[in-house]
Amino acid sequence: MVQYIVRRLLFSIPVVLGVTLITFILLNVVPGDPVLEMVGKYADPETIQQIREQLGLNDPLVVQYLRFLFNLLRGDLGRSFKTNLPVSKMIADTFPTTLKLALSSYLVAIALGVTTGIISAVKQYSFLDRFMMILALAGISAPVFWVAVVAQLIFGLKLGWFPISGYYSLKHMILPAIVLGTRFAALIARYTRSALLDVIRQDYIRTARAKGLTERRVIFVHALKNAMIPVVTILGMQLSGLLTGSILTETVFAIPGLGRLSVWALSQRDFPLVQGTVVFTAIVYILGNLIVDISYAFLNPRVRLK
Amino acid sequence: MRKVLLVAVLIFAVATFFAQTPKRGGVLHDYFTTDRMTFDPQEDTTLQTYAMARLLFSTLVRYKGETLELEPELLAKMPEISEDGKVYTFELKKGIKFHDGKTELTSDDVKFTIERMLSPKGRGASKWLFEPILGAEEFMKGQSTSLEGFKKIDDYRFQIILKEPYAPFLYHLAVPGASIYSEKLVKAAGDNWRLNPVGTGPFRLKRHVPNTEIVFERNPYYFEQGLPYLDGIVFRIVPDSTTALMEFEAGTLDVVTIPVLEYERLKASGKYNIIEKEALNTYYFLMNMSDPKWSNPILRKTMAMAINKKELAEAVFGPRATVATSFVTPGIPGSYPLGQGPAYDYNPEEAKKLVAQLGNIGKVTAWQWGGDTLSQPNIIIQAMAKEVGIDLEIIPVESAAFRQARREGKIPANYGNWWADIPDPDNYIGVFFGENNQMSSGYNNKEVQEMIKKARVEVDPEKRAQMYREIEYKLIREDVAVIPLFHLKYLLATQKNVHGIIAHPTGITVYLYAYKE
Repeated sequence: MVQYIVRRLLFSIPVVLGVTLITFILLNVVPGDPVLEMVGKYADPETIQQIREQLGLNDPLVVQYLRFLFNLLRGDLGRSFKTNLPVSKMIADTFPTTLKLALSSYLVAIALGVTTGIISAVKQYSFLDRFMMILALAGISAPVFWVAVVAQLIFGLKLGWFPISGYYSLKHMILPAIVLGTRFAALIARYTRSALLDVIRQDYIRTARAKGLTERRVIFVHALKNAMIPVVTILGMQLSGLLTGSILTETVFAIPGLGRLSVWALSQRDFPLVQGTVVFTAIVYILGNLIVDISYAFLNPRVRLK
Repeated sequence: MRKVLLVAVLIFAVATFFAQTPKRGGVLHDYFTTDRMTFDPQEDTTLQTYAMARLLFSTLVRYKGETLELEPELLAKMPEISEDGKVYTFELKKGIKFHDGKTELTSDDVKFTIERMLSPKGRGASKWLFEPILGAEEFMKGQSTSLEGFKKIDDYRFQIILKEPYAPFLYHLAVPGASIYSEKLVKAAGDNWRLNPVGTGPFRLKRHVPNTEIVFERNPYYFEQGLPYLDGIVFRIVPDSTTALMEFEAGTLDVVTIPVLEYERLKASGKYNIIEKEALNTYYFLMNMSDPKWSNPILRKTMAMAINKKELAEAVFGPRATVATSFVTPGIPGSYPLGQGPAYDYNPEEAKKLVAQLGNIGKVTAWQWGGDTLSQPNIIIQAMAKEVGIDLEIIPVESAAFRQARREGKIPANYGNWWADIPDPDNYIGVFFGENNQMSSGYNNKEVQEMIKKARVEVDPEKRAQMYREIEYKLIREDVAVIPLFHLKYLLATQKNVHGIIAHPTGITVYLYAYKE
């Protein structure tokens, strides 16, 4: 297992390199001078040249890229053009917020999604099943932005149960976590339902029932564990998605997370910060997938990691 | 009876006096849509950073309340100007302290501030503010180490000598980008300066939590007795305008910029104070006079007559917009009064006749700043052009790319807006149509450009104003270089207990006199 993890991590190196190269090329191909974003509307060409020189933007692209890689190897992501703060510090300051938001919405998603999925599967074709699946479909289809505004309007402004936006306390996290979480819950519910339905039809479940086990035991001990494999895949993919895809939620709820930082960096053409957030996100993604693969082995001994 | 009346009048007078007397204390809750991650107005020229600069720093002169009239701020009195309009003599107020309560403001700080902006090694983004000063060019190029046009007389008095007379120079000194820094404190802060500002302004920075909030507290050493009234101001970073409005309605924000669609509802509710203020801006449709197609004056004139400005303004900004007939915003010395400018009126019949003269010109192009779909104003302009027979294609271009192309003069035409930095026609006409302009107007009428140069240095205000009106007539009526569309009002709503916030025509919100009941 350790060998497997080490090998997977080693394989990730070219992936990260590829990501940095593609980001670097894209940033330099897209028109728009970062210095123009920094200076005012009247700045003269000399000032622009000066700043370009200071930031090393006049060096050949190869030199700039190699410098970035060299620094990356030393664990240095460079300094933000705009703030002059270390990129790693800016990421370290915002990532925990995004992680908290992701994890809390993850909990909401799992709790809601798996429960509804199980109920739907067990009560297949019942009114409850249909109702829940329609709700899930609506959940998947509704834009996050819209759900967020409606939630703010009802639970924030009208009922006053939760703060409308901001990031000051645990209470501020509830609404965003529910908004972001219910969306994934809908997806998880549908996956859980179909996976569980597949498993329930298997012979070993019939055997379990024939042995006289209670329905509860059949579902929770025998069926659910196996039904969870495709669900875990989705969960793993969603975790990375939650981390990186919370941009809209962070914007609407004014949460200072990594998503907003990366959008800000891009709008400012802050190259080191964009590179930094992209590399960091790639690493999170790779780790997320690795965790999913490892968890397969725990769920299903038939999956051998070689 | 008389006595009773007198007493009643007295009581009323006293009551009004107390009702209007600002109350000291309290914290104001406002917001910004983004965190600029800097407090240095020399580097960042956005209205947001400028609004914060008015809290943190002071300028030599400032606008008097809501007006466009200047008054001394750090100065003891308005500067004396020599007859030839070149030498300005200044005197600083004595005993002005920076936020640390120790460092005192002197003439050297003013010199340092100007040189920092102009420094070839710095990141000064508004060099234009000090460029009229003698020797600025040499200094900017690194050919001199000291600014020739700055003469220190003593710690509180100094002279600034201009290259040539330039009437709006004093306005430059009121722009927040010209905020005065302390040489000692800037040097001590080094690279951290942009996030650790120390000024002489009414408030000082208490806390900055990136992308979350910026907290200011009253400066106990502020040089104006009794000001500011507020104990502090908290700016939360709320990127989404709908969210901000909900926070405002929930009472957690004291101020909000009114979204166009919500204006009527907020006003009708009677629950809030509404601040409506004419601002120095013009929304326009600019056509590149050097573009192969737009170089045709008949096409430009057709376009000018095709746009129904009233309909466009109402559709896009509702009550916020006023139809423009001139490019220089009314109210500025040298501008045309509202509604009396030289712009062409909407005249679809005439436009259709002109199109017939144009013959088959095919598709003409305009660019849009950012976005991936067409913005509402562009959709309307396109439809109006189509109605008279112009096939106008509008291409959305990502903002950074747009900015770069604009600098290079490569934009064929575009709908845009200009918020002036100073109330002077040169800030419109010189910027857009002078030689080497960076606004992609492609303007190439040498005669008018000569006139622009002359108007710039004219000392007699009356004569100068007349010159600009003449130039603008030629620009808009004869050359149809730009189509002024409308001017936008500054619209803010505040909670009922909030008073004294000034929405200044320059677009900057001033909190110095703000208070909460």
